[in-house]
Amino acid sequence: MDMVLSALQAFAFAALQAALLLAVAPLLKTVIKKMKARLQNRQGPPLLQGYYDLAKLLRKEPVRSETASWIYVAGPRAYFGAVVAATTLVPVLVAGAPMESAGGILLLVGALTFARFALATAALDTGSAFGGMGASRDMTIAALAEPALMLGLFTSALGAGSLNLGELVRNLIVHGVTFHPSDVLAFAGLFIIVIAETGRIPVDNPATHLELTMIHEAMVLEYAGPDLALVEWASAVKELLYLTLLVDLFVPFGLALTAEPVSVFVALVVWLLKVFVLAVAVTITESANAKLRLFRVPELVSISLGLAFLALAIRFL
Amino acid sequence: MEVAVPAAVVIRLVTAGATLAFVRQAATARSVALVGSILASALTFTAAISVLMGGPSLEGDFLRHTASGLVLTYSMTPLSAWFLMVFGLVALPVAVYSAGYFAHSIPASRMAGVGIGFNVMLGAVEVVFVAADVITFLFAWELMTLATAALVATEHEEPASRRAAYLYLVMSHVGTGCLLAGFLALGGSSGSMSLSTLLAGNLVSGWHRDFVFALFLIGFGVKAGIIPFHVWLPEAHPAAPSSISALMSAVLITAGIYGLFRVCAFGLGTPTSNWGLLFMALGTVSAILGVLYALTQNDLKRLLAYSTIENAGIMVLGLGAGMVALSYQRSELATLAMAASLAHVLNHAVFKSLLFLGAGSVVMGTGTRSLEAFGGLLRRMPWTGLFFLVGAMAIAGLPLLNGFVSEWLTFQALLLGFSSISGLIRLNYPLSGALLALTSALAAACFVKVFGISFLALPRSPAAAEAHESPRSMLAPQAFLAFMCVGLGIFPGVVLGALGGVLPSLPGLHNAMSLDWGTIETKSAGASFDHLAPATFAAVLLSALFAAVLLAARNGLATRRVPTWGCGGELSARTEYSAAAFSKPLMMIFNGVYRPSRRVETLTESSPYFPHEVRYWAVIEPTFERYVYGPLLRGVLGIANGMKVLQAGSLHAYLAYVLVLVVAILWWLGGGA
Repeated sequence: MDMVLSALQAFAFAALQAALLLAVAPLLKTVIKKMKARLQNRQGPPLLQGYYDLAKLLRKEPVRSETASWIYVAGPRAYFGAVVAATTLVPVLVAGAPMESAGGILLLVGALTFARFALATAALDTGSAFGGMGASRDMTIAALAEPALMLGLFTSALGAGSLNLGELVRNLIVHGVTFHPSDVLAFAGLFIIVIAETGRIPVDNPATHLELTMIHEAMVLEYAGPDLALVEWASAVKELLYLTLLVDLFVPFGLALTAEPVSVFVALVVWLLKVFVLAVAVTITESANAKLRLFRVPELVSISLGLAFLALAIRFL
Repeated sequence: MEVAVPAAVVIRLVTAGATLAFVRQAATARSVALVGSILASALTFTAAISVLMGGPSLEGDFLRHTASGLVLTYSMTPLSAWFLMVFGLVALPVAVYSAGYFAHSIPASRMAGVGIGFNVMLGAVEVVFVAADVITFLFAWELMTLATAALVATEHEEPASRRAAYLYLVMSHVGTGCLLAGFLALGGSSGSMSLSTLLAGNLVSGWHRDFVFALFLIGFGVKAGIIPFHVWLPEAHPAAPSSISALMSAVLITAGIYGLFRVCAFGLGTPTSNWGLLFMALGTVSAILGVLYALTQNDLKRLLAYSTIENAGIMVLGLGAGMVALSYQRSELATLAMAASLAHVLNHAVFKSLLFLGAGSVVMGTGTRSLEAFGGLLRRMPWTGLFFLVGAMAIAGLPLLNGFVSEWLTFQALLLGFSSISGLIRLNYPLSGALLALTSALAAACFVKVFGISFLALPRSPAAAEAHESPRSMLAPQAFLAFMCVGLGIFPGVVLGALGGVLPSLPGLHNAMSLDWGTIETKSAGASFDHLAPATFAAVLLSALFAAVLLAARNGLATRRVPTWGCGGELSARTEYSAAAFSKPLMMIFNGVYRPSRRVETLTESSPYFPHEVRYWAVIEPTFERYVYGPLLRGVLGIANGMKVLQAGSLHAYLAYVLVLVVAILWWLGGGA
């Protein structure tokens, strides 16, 4: 009975946290767009534009290609499902992930690979060359980013003595975060990877529809209506998830250690602030850089790999 | 149960004989061979399960001939039982599948031969796993090689098949020669033939031990297909009929892995850390090069063969990590790493045989193995496509499928290795971890390509457009294996529970894993390090998936089907992304590995700006064939040529050799007395 109750509690907690991320994610996307526009002396979209877009897409008639099979329909749903399920493995407001009993960092990375696999496979289904091009490039960049991502995560995790994110942030908070130069290197390495994985300049340009430069957009080019809404929404959640992961690993202060309403509210404010600061960093990176050629991306990613390895070496040797 | 092992061998022999009797009736020969094979495999499987469940080890004699003193013995230890369990789990569905597959793909005149080869190969593998003395082991090892070579040459009118079988024979015999030398070196110091005496680990020491280790590494490494001993594998696996390829990839290479476990890791005393590091290096290199070569293949079965090299690399990586841990007396860590490696043996066997059976169905349905000729197969072959997708997801290491579990365990072993071993040597652990991450991400890219290009979008050839689904008898085994992929992925505790009896039976290991059905947990210095409960995650993922379906269906509007936009032109298979194009970015990024040479030829009629045909060739450099085996081969041939002087055809010279030899022997023996 107790087990059933605690399982239900964990599920309710997971649902609430997923709902929070789903609610905030479109705002994050628009905030970055808005800040970018302001940096270019443009007005930019209203802050709620992300929500309007999703609401509109969800109301539209689903239009699908004649050549596509059930994979095309399953792709966005699996993508959305895997990304949302991944959010339950990460602590957001409370120093513990709702589903930390399911697994840690490796499962999180696995869930995101699951999401990418689903979307890339579905992209090949319409017979358009764009889908194939996007899928090929997306899988290429992801493959190159994976070792740097893992190494960066390992460095943080080994410092805290656990691969489970809930356990990890608790250890960090309880033992106090000792500032170590390796944290700077690991953070820089992971930030590059987050840029690459979320399809931001200089790796990918979220605002383009030019065939030579598209990566993520090429992959989802054929999608429309509710299918597209799922993809867009899940991508926004994924970006928020990566930023949350960064703050969890490097500045876990402010996470509520108990479920008291006051400390949770404080944690919410602190979390939004921290994510906002990272969003500013992403915006500045996007505005100050030009998109790299696809074949220059490996150089960028290998910088990240080098940083992560250095971080590991200076921390533990 | 006591008679299960010899009984299975007798069934195989009787079956092979009976199949020979029906050499003129192909259908009967096929039924006899496969029914016999199913019976024997089921018997072996049951016996292996009983040993794994904690039953007594099965020991005894196959044959005892008092007059000549010839004794062939067997002993099913828990380690053998693990490999035999994997063997049975794959051999049974493959035999069922073969009933339909052979009927379609093997000409009647060769049916009896293939049936006999099938049974002899499987029987020999069984005996390799249970052999308790050197004679039995080497005899079965050789029989396994010969039967497999015969099966590889099934389509012997094809020069490629003949070449593959020849290459396989040569490489295998180099390996067997090394094994023979290794066993002789061990036997010379003990005078016994029993494997348990020879592999007690106290017979050799010093450089002698390293030398014996190297011999066994080559001998078993060739069978396991690890780089640089892999050159036969991508030739032989595709050449064999698909269900044989499945057995070769899933079962035959595990014979090599079994040898590496039994002899290199646990048979020569406590391994040194250098051996472990060598294994880790070989494993990592095999994994990464295997998957990189797989990515650029456009022949479905060849691609799967390269991916087998990758997975053998992952097994050897885990084994190597365990050996380093053993050399530092980190028993818990060694147990975890060995568990990861053995779990991957099982998981790879399941998903790779599934993929090869799927490939067999595709090849049977279309008549070609080229990815560029497939496309849109999911419409024509919905079930094969679904099962293939499950296999592709499992091999890509996605959570909820079995491939993820063993990769997870390997990562755990590598990370815990980093935290529990001191000194510079531990940096090898996260480095190989990063390379393992790269491997699994590249595998994901590779299998997105395979599945997407083969099964989705428009058919690229008339053969693909008219592909036909396989009969139910061929789909059922695939369904079973796909089910196993999911089941072992969601309940990994079952696998580790079964391993709970195997690991403590190996010297230096003990069982440190806390076990229940759904959760696996690893500990570091008593504290929890990480855990995995895929069933919980499955529940979360399914709920989220359900939410997504509801969310997108909320507006209740019917779907409109429209043609894909063809950029103003007509959308056809020719405008689709091809398999070569898909892997092109990775080919360009890793061109230091591939060193591709390409040639583009443009055929024009009027203006060079309007070509009516563009021809494109791209070949990747066969690095190992050219730079390792090329010089080796030339060296061997050069020496052989030089030795012609001795064998000049002159009878007088030969008589002189005999005389010199006799005198030398007499002198040597006399000198000894």
